[in-house]
Amino acid sequence: MDKIELKNLLFLARISADEKEHTKIIEKLKNTFDLIDEMQDLDLSDLEPLNNPLELNNVSREDVNNDRNSKGEFLNNSPESDEDYFLVPKIIE
Amino acid sequence: MNFKEQRDLFRTKKVSAKEAVQESIKKINGDNLNIFINSFQSEALKQAEFIDNNFDKFKDAPLSGVPIAHKDIFCTKGLPTTCGSKMLENFVPPYDSTVIHNCNEAGSVMVGKTNMDEFAMGSSNETSYFGPVSNPWNSDLVPGGSSGGAAACVAADITSISTGTDTGGSIRQPAALCGVTGLKPTYGLVSRWGMIAFCSSMDQAGPFSRDAFGCAALLDAMASYDSKDSTSTERPDKNFENLLAKDFGSLKIGVIKDIDNFGINPDVMQSYEVSKTVLSALGHELKEVDFSELSTGICSYYVIAPAECSSNLSRFDGVKYGYRASDQKDISKLYMETRSEAFGDEVKKRILIGTHVLSAGFYDAYYLQAQKVRRMIKNKFESIFKDVDLIFMPTTLDQAFEKNRESNDPNRMYKEDLLTIPANLAGLPAISFPNGFKNNLPIGGQFVGNYFSEDLLLATTNRIQEVSDWHKMTP
Repeated sequence: MDKIELKNLLFLARISADEKEHTKIIEKLKNTFDLIDEMQDLDLSDLEPLNNPLELNNVSREDVNNDRNSKGEFLNNSPESDEDYFLVPKIIE
Repeated sequence: MNFKEQRDLFRTKKVSAKEAVQESIKKINGDNLNIFINSFQSEALKQAEFIDNNFDKFKDAPLSGVPIAHKDIFCTKGLPTTCGSKMLENFVPPYDSTVIHNCNEAGSVMVGKTNMDEFAMGSSNETSYFGPVSNPWNSDLVPGGSSGGAAACVAADITSISTGTDTGGSIRQPAALCGVTGLKPTYGLVSRWGMIAFCSSMDQAGPFSRDAFGCAALLDAMASYDSKDSTSTERPDKNFENLLAKDFGSLKIGVIKDIDNFGINPDVMQSYEVSKTVLSALGHELKEVDFSELSTGICSYYVIAPAECSSNLSRFDGVKYGYRASDQKDISKLYMETRSEAFGDEVKKRILIGTHVLSAGFYDAYYLQAQKVRRMIKNKFESIFKDVDLIFMPTTLDQAFEKNRESNDPNRMYKEDLLTIPANLAGLPAISFPNGFKNNLPIGGQFVGNYFSEDLLLATTNRIQEVSDWHKMTP
């Protein structure tokens, strides 16, 4: 991984990091991938990938309104809100 | 005091719930190991009074009148839930998680929320924004993680039961390092609703206690089918406490061939060998099984867990709840700065790994390959369980280790979970219990069982604890 790839990765993950830190971050990631890469030699072409240990079926429920949640409580948890809305910085000029 | 003694004192009206809670609060206030992130003393006393005033209603409940500490990953209505992160330092959930609800209904009284690795990512409790927890046996050492506070709380005798979560060993590894018993149930037995998500396909909540008895009673309270968790499984009700006494007869117990090749510390191996002789003396048959694939589980885990974490933690953006970076002029900068300021280094690292392995050019080589390794591990367990009832192995490679080791060698820390991760990949239940001591520090052994065999795991551990004293040792 080079610094250009890392910049792209940081942007995708919406994390910022000082450019002075980039070499250290690349080193840390490389170290983890060295551990992960031990599985690359295995030939598993005949196996299906496993998403969930119990391979459960989807659960559905009746399409009815339930009033479990309160809008006011959720808005109160927001760093900034105004009446019915979450407030964020201007998105469109 | 162990859980059963404490509950008996309440049931026989020798000690009220309020007196038991006052005792726990006194110990919390004297705690110098940083076990708690928050304690809720006035709320706990009020709840204890409520239980005392409704004695007849609660006296036969599984956790009647017993103080409990919950890992700070479970949402508690009106009370802070931080998940060990600056991101949620001031987060107050508007609802109780199912685990909290079930434990309240079962007559326990929450005295506080325990410290943990940030978003449950860590094996030493050092990634917590609220500072590391010290091991009750030696305060220079770590208690393990991520449920380090929960394990230390029981070891330090602050409460006789506590809840934790186990994604790659986060109940069993701290249980082993603190000398208590901890159970990771089958994936789907305990509801994940209201439990802050890290890796949704492996996260599973479970009990800590000094012994199998306390774990059984707490599991009775925690386990329930929950339509609010789409991976919750509907199972016939089992009473784990009653099933502790069931005679499962002579079992075939699998022991892994050449297990010493995995780099296990000689003292841990010695305890393991002693435990094998105890199992034989109890009439069980030990059968060697091949599980050479076991060590590849760690490669799979460190792809799948970061992948799911990068997706789960994308919800923390500074808009709807949690931390927000101040004075940001545009939305993109708001996201970036909020996440950079409020996530710790380990969480950021795992988000970056997860984002990388899910990106277009690397998906097949990493994510898909890791899921195939996961299948291979599950298939291997299934084949082993055709021949044996349980598998027995050490819980960890080492005993409790010094703080700050991770910064020198992170992969060594990751490998610490080598023996616990396979059960999470396959979704199987596993229990860790104290099975020896060296240098005045505990050692843990674990059983892994087939799906929904918690009754067998608990009863077998209980039988060992009837003839041994390791679980009775206190720091």
